[in-house]
Amino acid sequence: MERQTRLLCATALAFGACTTLAVAQEADSAIDQVTPVTDEMLRNPPDGDWLMWRRTYDGWGYSPLDQINKENVGDLQLAWAWSMTPGRTQETPLAHDGIVYIQNSDHVIQALDGATGDLIWEYFYELPDDVDPRGMRNKAIYEDKLIVATRDAHLIALDTKTGQLIWDKQVANYEHGWGYTSGPIVANGVIVQGMTSCSNAQPGGCFFTGHDPDTGEELWRFHTIARGDTPEGNSWNGVPLESRFGASAWIPGTYDVEQNLVFAGVGQPYPWNLEIAGLIPPSSDPDVTNDALYTNATLALDPTNGELQWYFQHLPTDSLDLDYVYERILVDLPVDGETRQQSVTVGKTGIVESIDRTNGEWLWHVETAPQDVVLSIDPETGEKEINPDVIPVIGESVFHCPADPGAKAWQAAAYSPRTETLYLPTVEFCSNTTVNPLDPGQIYTGGGLQTYSRVPVPDSDGNIGQVRAINLADHSETWQYRQRPPITSSTLPTAGGVVFVGSLDRKFMAFDDETGEKLWESGKLSNSLESFPISYEADGKQYVAITANFASGLGRLASLTPEVKLPANDPITLYVFALPD
Amino acid sequence: MKSPAAFAPLVVPLLALVLALAKPAPAAAQEPEFFDRPYTQNQWTYGRRLDESQLRYCVDRRDPDWEVAGAIADAIARGLLLEPQRHVVEGSIVLEDITAVYEILLKHCDMHMGFKLIPQGYPTWVTVTRPYYETRYVYVTADPEIASLSDLEPSRPIGATIGSQAHLRLVSYLSALPRDERWPTYPMGTADLALGSLLEGTVDAALVWAPTLWAKQREDAAYAELRVIEPRPLPPTTLGVGALMLSDETFLRTAVDEAIAALTADGTLQAILDEYGFPATAAP
Repeated sequence: MERQTRLLCATALAFGACTTLAVAQEADSAIDQVTPVTDEMLRNPPDGDWLMWRRTYDGWGYSPLDQINKENVGDLQLAWAWSMTPGRTQETPLAHDGIVYIQNSDHVIQALDGATGDLIWEYFYELPDDVDPRGMRNKAIYEDKLIVATRDAHLIALDTKTGQLIWDKQVANYEHGWGYTSGPIVANGVIVQGMTSCSNAQPGGCFFTGHDPDTGEELWRFHTIARGDTPEGNSWNGVPLESRFGASAWIPGTYDVEQNLVFAGVGQPYPWNLEIAGLIPPSSDPDVTNDALYTNATLALDPTNGELQWYFQHLPTDSLDLDYVYERILVDLPVDGETRQQSVTVGKTGIVESIDRTNGEWLWHVETAPQDVVLSIDPETGEKEINPDVIPVIGESVFHCPADPGAKAWQAAAYSPRTETLYLPTVEFCSNTTVNPLDPGQIYTGGGLQTYSRVPVPDSDGNIGQVRAINLADHSETWQYRQRPPITSSTLPTAGGVVFVGSLDRKFMAFDDETGEKLWESGKLSNSLESFPISYEADGKQYVAITANFASGLGRLASLTPEVKLPANDPITLYVFALPD
Repeated sequence: MKSPAAFAPLVVPLLALVLALAKPAPAAAQEPEFFDRPYTQNQWTYGRRLDESQLRYCVDRRDPDWEVAGAIADAIARGLLLEPQRHVVEGSIVLEDITAVYEILLKHCDMHMGFKLIPQGYPTWVTVTRPYYETRYVYVTADPEIASLSDLEPSRPIGATIGSQAHLRLVSYLSALPRDERWPTYPMGTADLALGSLLEGTVDAALVWAPTLWAKQREDAAYAELRVIEPRPLPPTTLGVGALMLSDETFLRTAVDEAIAALTADGTLQAILDEYGFPATAAP
């Protein structure tokens, strides 16, 4: 028999900043069966677990579970649902030994029974009053710890069984703009965490940090804005370090165990307008460039010491908020007849790009959604020719595709080894963009940088959202699904031959991974689905979980589909689906 | 200085309209953020306020002009025959996104003092009153040999408060000059950082908001030697400053605008600015 008791967590006294009311569940409950997560488990996760953001170190976002398959997915039913704190989030639940771990927008962290949806414990992290309470994209599990990043730039570790606080480390001062929007990964026994929200108040940009999982102690820090008298440090057009901004590390990386390298992306320079940022006109100094390294680059970092092994910059001197920060997917597939160890990513341009992950050498690319920013790509070096007509200048408006949320936004693509195919959520839209001053208030800024007036692509068929299936072996498009409302969730391919995805109009859908045929569609859920679906196993049964929530990003495209009505109070609900017993 | 009562007949009818038609805060049943309105946790719980005899205003202690703005808001309230209800925002974050004001307006005030009148500079969920004063962005230096920007050698850098109207004007001007005649211009995250760089010698001139320099020189002797120079060959960048309100507060906004106009015309606002020695003029 289950018995729940509410306990005041003793650690509240030790960590006064946090309100630590935990709910513990005693005796013979599922939580008692939870095992420590080892390095070996992270390298080869049990099929029924989802232990990190994209489930595996290679970033595939693929579930090897096949109980739900093409033949029976049409019978999928709601198993249970859990209402979360209203607000904004981009949640990826984690699942381990049948327990589901979630982080609410107000930073209440909860453990739920994955089979029943019953609450097991909850931990209340208290954000400062002046920090906007929003959720995170992901968490990490390592040994007996659930490792969580916070909006006020803390990392905390909770006991996976009890929810009690083990440690709490402030990594940076939120008052200077720093904060987290994503959580960490744990690679080779080190927590690797990227910093974001590097505002004008704290010049010098963002950074990755490595932390000791036992204590949270910072082991190393790698700055994502290059420094010093080096070719990289001299790539900021001669402006001093205190005048360099941005390079957010706002998406977690992936990890190559064999090389002991973390591959992670970096965002663009701030502010977006190059004239304001001081990146144009170009310096006359022959030793100075305006590439603004390491913005929009793939970094290969040693998680043990934070040393940079190599980098590849996908989009130098970005002026349109077109991050190349998203997931790096690691695949070993032939290129020109030779198997290459690849790191594949898709920037906001929607261009699928592959580099050799042993040395950063350019391999290949495939264009997907309409874009007019990149005119051409050198097949040998990957160097891009940027359309000069789309670079915003003060006093003029420019038209370009895509707009700032990106043809491919933060919603992660996923890879299925079954089909050797990347399942890519995209949107088609453009923008009329105008440079604005940043300074309406004295403390309060924003309201500008560049104003993006988003419009459909010329000659649009009216379908804003797509799911594209791109074969990574031959780079062909296998199928494409199109619909009017934007596709707003990440994709989830499974060993059952099904690809799950959600959309702005509150639908969760399943497609045949080989043909793109729609096999199942949920009823309308409580909100748009702007999150990361997962699949896990509890008590021998496969479940598929996704949170319905409104988030920033593709939700902004709702202005293009005004017929899609969403609730005003931003409800968030975790929905879990399964086959009937 | 004229008594506010002198223009009471002008504003009383408007005030009656305000009180009669005061709307509840834009909480429930409003358009959500994806129609360009921000989101605030539990925003639907903020309803109609009960006390309609007050003018609730906010000033932010981080703003260099907050005391002056408070005195002006008090005068506006008296002009509307309302009791001024001041809320001082005590934030510790150095810079905030303007969407953070949404929650402050819902919770604490009908108008938030201290916003520049920038054409098309605001999202549709807010509006700015007519300006209660005008002031400038100024070029500042510690070099006694420099009287105007044109005296600054092209090799000597300028630290400009990033993204300001004056910074945009400077950048546009420089882009039209031959390369060897341009001043290196370094964007600085805040006016404080720009002035700090000037003191440290990283830059030879700083482009900052005049009220920031005024506040720094009041509180810290280290800034005493800094001087404002003429912007020549650039024209001065002058901006009006008003109060931010939710865009559906149309009746109150009209009343406040009328009060500002009357307080400007009767010299009340200029008297307040003069009392503080504040580097601004009441907007005509």
